[in-house]
This record gives sequence, structure tokens and C-alpha cells, in this order.
Amino acid sequence: MSERPSLLWIDWRLSRDPLVRETIGRFLYFCLLGFALLTLLLSGGVSRILADRYAITAVLRAEVPSAEAEGLARKAAALPQVRSATYRDPEAAWKEFLRAYPGLEPLRGAGENPLPGYIEIRIRPDRLTGEDVDLVASALRAVSQVERVLAGEEWLPRLLRAGRLASWACWGIFGAFLAGFFLVGRLQERARAVALATDFAFLAERGVPAGRLAFLRAAGAAISGFLLAAAGTVAGGGALILSLRKFPFLERVIGPPADLLLPGTVASAVLFSIGAALLCAAASLLGWSAARAGRK
Amino acid sequence: MIEGFRLGVFSRGATLWDGLDFAFGDAAAWFVTGPPSSGKTLLLSILRGERRPDAGDVVVSGESLYRGDAALARAWRASCGYIPEQTVADARLTVGDLFRRSALAGGGVRESERKERTDRLLQMVGLQGASGWRIAELSISERGRACLAAELLRGPKVLFCDGLVAGAGVPFWEMLWGLFRALAREGNTVILVERRIPERWALAAGNPEPVGPFRVYRLPGTAAEAKGEPG
Repeated sequence: MSERPSLLWIDWRLSRDPLVRETIGRFLYFCLLGFALLTLLLSGGVSRILADRYAITAVLRAEVPSAEAEGLARKAAALPQVRSATYRDPEAAWKEFLRAYPGLEPLRGAGENPLPGYIEIRIRPDRLTGEDVDLVASALRAVSQVERVLAGEEWLPRLLRAGRLASWACWGIFGAFLAGFFLVGRLQERARAVALATDFAFLAERGVPAGRLAFLRAAGAAISGFLLAAAGTVAGGGALILSLRKFPFLERVIGPPADLLLPGTVASAVLFSIGAALLCAAASLLGWSAARAGRK
Repeated sequence: MIEGFRLGVFSRGATLWDGLDFAFGDAAAWFVTGPPSSGKTLLLSILRGERRPDAGDVVVSGESLYRGDAALARAWRASCGYIPEQTVADARLTVGDLFRRSALAGGGVRESERKERTDRLLQMVGLQGASGWRIAELSISERGRACLAAELLRGPKVLFCDGLVAGAGVPFWEMLWGLFRALAREGNTVILVERRIPERWALAAGNPEPVGPFRVYRLPGTAAEAKGEPG
């Protein structure tokens, strides 16, 4: 008996039907988790919503010419924290004002536009922090053409803190679902180990070490867990792309589909798959030891 | 050669037996009889390396099973086949599952080869076409024969059978007699434990060696060796 038994897929060989059901269930769950993970990664929790709503306004002095103001906007847009910087001339500012407060046309009685031009600066979602906003605001204040910078510094820290809490809550819910997967997986592994106890005893009686059996079962669970998580994440990503195409307004909350292929997003998805593989292996080992402890 | 030296077992607060010596030579079929509750199943567990005796040692080809290398004991168990008396625990399986599991324990058996050998072995033990049958639906005789066929799939060097002959029933004794002799001729060792030996087998085997509560018979391997062919 020189050849050693191949035990990597022993559960599959001995208990095919229940394992198929479990595998389908896990794949669907990973699709859900993958969808949630990619949504969270792209949206940054609530960062993209906040970044979409928040803008720094640099009010320019009345005498600044348009060409100079546009040059200033381009310089502001080149800052690493800035997503976009758009110059609005006094006329555009007046129209925006009237749209917001209709019926105030008499304020421009003598034909003079009482509003100055301004630059609207939007921050990148991943750079929306108090420090980065301060940096941008300080840079703008140092410019002689800028009369005033409106960055909401009085209420911004509270808003950012609330945003951070909301993001943590989102990730916490995701973590809870992942923990739920682990607990259910452990119970499934335990039930399977109990169901196959006589088969494992059979193999142990024929010289297969229990430790080797447990290790190879865990390795098999890790490999299948990785593949299922990767496939589930890809399927979840596909569902996310379809959702974003069908409901374009979601892009403002979640982000553009192209961001799914950013190296950071792909690396996170791979890390998630590796984490899922480790969880599957741990569930297998814990289920195995619980089944053995229950038998003793 | 499987040897038991001064074997002793203490069970249920008393000495079941002590100081027993056994010697089972290679390439032979051995028949051990003993009365109920004499520790026949226990003896098989000890000889298979599953249960350490409370006294004495088992030596296989000169190596101690219980005082030597653990890997050696595992290799020994891997080379053994075992048909237990009770197969209730496997009731949820089908006959085909027994073969699948046995192939796993053996390793290296290809799927096509396994199926082909399964059909051949089932036919040999009188269970042709039984691959899909559930163990729960089989009689004691059929269970024993199915387990025997599944163990033979791996081609074990040593085969331990617990109550197989009695369980199989009289109509299958001739088949088993021929099978055990064939296995012995091919260099395998067969050790059977039963409450009693079929009369014709006892006649063919000649005088047994008494060891404690047991009687040890060596079944003849060839027709010439046999004093009285059964069947």
C-alpha cells in the first residue's frame, strides 16, 4: 500500500448531494457579499454622497478678469485633493441666484450685477477629510484674487464625523453578514463531519491519520471557498454594472462602473476571496473538531 | 507473520484473558473460535493495531505495533482489510458507496477501474447488480458479503473478518471457503473469528491449537493439504 489516499475532495466523493446544495448556497451568498463589497468600495461608504453634495466656494474680487479667473480654476483643479474646479462668472452667479430665490430681480435695479464671480471646487471622495479641505481652503485664501473662501469649516467636522460613522456602520453590516456566513458555514461543516463520521472512522481504522484528514478537508474547503468567493464577486460586479447602467442616478452615490477595474478595487476583491478561503478553512477545522468533541 | 506475545485484556473490572500467545503465519487462512463474550472482536482490534492490549505486545514482521513507530502501525492498518460484525452504522450508504469509500482508503484506484472491479467482486460474492442498493435494505448476509467485496477492492495483504462466516449463512460457506483459500494461495493472510467453525472446515483443518478461551485453526491452502474438502 505505497500510494497515499487522495483526500482533498473527500467530502465531495462521499457526500455529493448535500455538498452541491451547500455550494450553491455559498455561491449565491458570495454574490450578495461581492455586490455589497464592490458597492462599498466604490462608494467609500457615504463618502461619494458627501463629496457630491459638498463644495468649496472661492468668491473672487469684483475686478478679476474672466481669463485670469479661469486660469485660477485650472490651477485649483490641478491640486491632488480636487476632483473639479469650475469658474462661474458674475452673470452665471446672478442666474443661479435668481433660480434659487425667484422674484429678487429688483435687486439689480440700475443694471449693476451685485454678485461677484466665484470658483466652485469639489473634492475627490477619497480625499474628503478635514485636513485636505483645510489644505485646499488655505491654498485658495493665499491667492490675492480671492476675496473669501466659503468651506463650511464650522460644520464640516461634524458632517465628516457623521459620514465616518455611517461608513463604519455600512462596513459593520457587511462584517456582520461575513460573520453570519462563517457561523452558518461552521454549522454546515459540523453537520457534514457528523454525517460522515463513520466514513472518517473507516479511514482512520485503515491507517489514515485524523490530522491529515482534517488538514486536507480544510485545504479543500479553502480552495473551493476562494473559487466561490472570486466567482461570486465577479457575478456581484456584473450585477452592479447592470444596476448602474439601468439606473444611472446611482453613479452619483456609488460611482462609475469603470472604477470596478481600478487596481485598488481588484486587489480588494482578491483579498476578500483570500479572506473567504481562510474563513472556509477555519469553519471546516472548527466543524471537524466540534463533531469529534461531540462524539467523545 | 503476526505474533501476539503474552496478550492480556482487562475489561469490565476483571481480567478477560492474560498471557495468550498467538502466531499467524503469512499466506494462510486462520480461523479463531471462541464462546460469546470471550473477547473475539477485541482480539481482532488488538491484532489490527486499533486497541493497545493491557498486557503484552503484537509484532508484525518483527516490528512492534504498539511500542514501535506510529507510522509503521498506520502503514500496517492501511495494509489490512476489516469486515466488522456490525454494519448498522453504514445503513445510510449504498453498496456502491462502500466501494467508493474503500477506494479512498486505498488511494490510486481509477474511477473506471473501480467500477469494473466493483461489478466483478459483487458478482463473486453473489450480489451482482447490487451497486445501487441501500445497505439498510440488505440482509445481514448481504451486508457482510458486500463489505467483504468492498474490502477486497483495495487488495489488502491481511484480511480480518469478524463473524462473517456465520453471518453469510450456509449457502455461501462454499464460496467463502474457496475465496479464503484463493487469497491464501496468492500470499494473503486471512484471520476469521467466529463462535463456531463449520463442521467440514474443522474436519479439513484438523486439530485446533487451544489458546486461552480460543481455538485456532489453520485452514488448508491446497486440495492436497486438505484432509476433507467441504461442500
